[in-house]
Amino acid sequence: MSARSPWAGRPRERVEQRLVIERDGTVIARSGKVEYGQGIRTGFARIVAEELDVPIERVRVELGETDGVPWDMGTFGSLSIATDGQSLRSAAACARRLLLDRASQQLGRPTTQLQTRDGRVVASDGRAVTYAELTTGEPLVGEVPERPAGRRTTGPSNDAPFRLEALDILTGRARYVADVRLPGMLRGHLLHPPVPGSRLVKMNDATARAVPGVVAIVRDGGTVGVVAERDEQALAALDTLNVEWAPAPTAPVLPVDIVLRHDEGIDAIFAGTSQVAAQYHVPHISHASIGPSAAVADVRDKDADIYVSTHRPFAVRDEVAQLLGLSPDRVHVHPQMMSGTYGRGNMTDAPLDAARLSRAVKRPVLVQWTREEEFRLSPHRPLLDAEVRAVLDETGAIAAWRYDTTTNSHAYGGSAAPPGMLEMTCGRNAEPPYQFAKAEVALHVVSAAIRTGPFRSLAGAPNVFALESFMDELADASAQDPIAFRLRHIDDVRLRRVLETVRDKSGWGQRPHEANRGFGVACAIYNRTYVAEVAEVSVAATGQVRLERVWCAVDAGHLVHPDGARNQIEGAIQQAASWTLLEELRIQDGQVATATWPDYPIATFQDASREIAVLFTTEESADSTGIGEVGSVPTAAALANAVFDACGARVRRLPLTAAAVTAARS
Amino acid sequence: MRVRLTVNRQIHQIDVPPGVTLLSALRDDLGLTGTRFGCGHGVCGACVVLVDGIAVPSCKVGVEEVGSKEIVTIEGLARHGTLHAVQRAFLDEDAMQCGYCTSGMVMSAVALLSRVPHPTDDQIRDALTPHLCRCGVYGRVLRAVKKAALR
Repeated sequence: MSARSPWAGRPRERVEQRLVIERDGTVIARSGKVEYGQGIRTGFARIVAEELDVPIERVRVELGETDGVPWDMGTFGSLSIATDGQSLRSAAACARRLLLDRASQQLGRPTTQLQTRDGRVVASDGRAVTYAELTTGEPLVGEVPERPAGRRTTGPSNDAPFRLEALDILTGRARYVADVRLPGMLRGHLLHPPVPGSRLVKMNDATARAVPGVVAIVRDGGTVGVVAERDEQALAALDTLNVEWAPAPTAPVLPVDIVLRHDEGIDAIFAGTSQVAAQYHVPHISHASIGPSAAVADVRDKDADIYVSTHRPFAVRDEVAQLLGLSPDRVHVHPQMMSGTYGRGNMTDAPLDAARLSRAVKRPVLVQWTREEEFRLSPHRPLLDAEVRAVLDETGAIAAWRYDTTTNSHAYGGSAAPPGMLEMTCGRNAEPPYQFAKAEVALHVVSAAIRTGPFRSLAGAPNVFALESFMDELADASAQDPIAFRLRHIDDVRLRRVLETVRDKSGWGQRPHEANRGFGVACAIYNRTYVAEVAEVSVAATGQVRLERVWCAVDAGHLVHPDGARNQIEGAIQQAASWTLLEELRIQDGQVATATWPDYPIATFQDASREIAVLFTTEESADSTGIGEVGSVPTAAALANAVFDACGARVRRLPLTAAAVTAARS
Repeated sequence: MRVRLTVNRQIHQIDVPPGVTLLSALRDDLGLTGTRFGCGHGVCGACVVLVDGIAVPSCKVGVEEVGSKEIVTIEGLARHGTLHAVQRAFLDEDAMQCGYCTSGMVMSAVALLSRVPHPTDDQIRDALTPHLCRCGVYGRVLRAVKKAALR
């Protein structure tokens, strides 16, 4: 096994942590990951059904229930199928072996004469015993060997659209966090200070107390909130609170400088040689989830239940336990259906609000942030300021490359996180996937004016915007075709293949040039998944850019559910096109001034690209890697490069608005 | 304040404070949580329901304005266990990811098809434009509505 394997070095798992066979034959599969539309529940169920030879309808996947599932750091980095999918596959393969052994005893036949089929072990003489019978009173236990021989199909999996939650979603039965209804449940809101972390010093709540339906004004340390019978009552009362805040003293956060790569002799190459250089900027943008953050807390004297939408159920458990002074095993976290959060759900805002309020009123409390709070107070995507320089040799190849990037904390721990964490998060994709003789890559993490946090692909998409825009600028400066120029710096067969695929399928270089229509390319390797995109844009006389079509080639190893993967890639491209063409938060005096959807347009049905061709160049024998973020990573650069191809405007600051294009064109 | 509401072909009486929205009455008084809160300003589409067959953001409708008009929510679309053609088509195309915006989109598509049984692509796009989907499943939704129209 390669040392880069994400499951290398993990402690051995046990079958009973992952799989339980119930009396009625239901197979319960457990993972600490959570579902928010990426399709992992369906993916996990398919893996278990395939390995264990049971119909998928009989697999029930339990996700993120902290009392029942193995500990997990969080659902991020497009790792669920790669890591937990593999764990479930191994556990299921191991469970099947154990079932065969038991059946062999029971039926008096060697395992070589036994087959598994449809939740039963069948002997060559036709006798059969069900999994439920084999495990009644004696659950499967045992250590899972490292990668037991599995039954994974070598060909592509069933491609039909299919999602376990779909019927519930389409009939209104799906239960999202704000749909949880507990007996005696109240509604609450915390009053969030304009500057996060400020403490309440003075308050007049006389008017608020008189608002009908108000149950309590909760002052808890430096915070204040309202609990009422109805949500509108809690909000009305909150509006009347007269408060004074004092900013909490904060230690200055020092910038962190990390050298990711430095090749000896690079300074000499840059000294006195003609070089190409450019600077790129990516603004703060919002996750802009359609469903605002929500949580229900039911805090009792000795324990608590927390219903939540989160990427990190175990972090919610630990942080709520700390707030309440309980031991973590007394806090039971129940992840619900979630609105897509694209990283926003790594923060534990709503569950902590709800826990404070529920503790005070001793009843369950549902907190759902308002749209305005979500825009103004959420952590947002960090900025990126990058400078790239390169020297080309006499053949037009890159002789030396220098990348200097400045960003804010992309992690939930802030920039005080250890350097290794900063490299993985803020430095994600800062190193391009190309072969250069000499390179230097430097990363600076500085504090932001506003709260920042994890955002889909972390620094991946911002860095790739800078790097891949610059690759095009180099190709243009040396009159080379952008794809051919990239290919001459790539040895990796899988990366070459995604680029060649989008080149061939998009008709790259074959189409007659139409005025104000252009093609742009970008590629990346994101957490071991290979991606290349060609974008076709049209640019109006006003400078308005439209994404017409996209060809996206992806190699994510074995695909557990190709149509689910396709859905993820399509959506990620639509979302990233929205970031790129439309989005920028307005920051005023160190605060987010954007508060509503009209302040922050995102792509609608009108803007959506008419056609996205997802082309899997999957190496089926390779392990599954991630799919959830990778589609979003090259989109900004592909768009910017296509705009340049269409009209000669090189936009280096996002968003790629009509004004930016017009300014760059002149 | 006592209010009579006809929702999904059933008549309900509820007691609510003045000023409550239809969305809040559906979710908090009738337990019909399939209609979702997204923004509270009628600009994201997550809370769209049918009011006398017209797709309306329920967060912008006061419950006392509804009167005898007939409300249909996502919970009331399937009849006798059979999915509406729009629900069926969304299922077949997997036209969703997280599903938070799906109820509203389905309701708007149902309203469109009852008014225009064979809409053009532009008509579908225009009817759905009030709906934001951050997961970006726009292409699949367009395909699903087109498919539902063919049924």
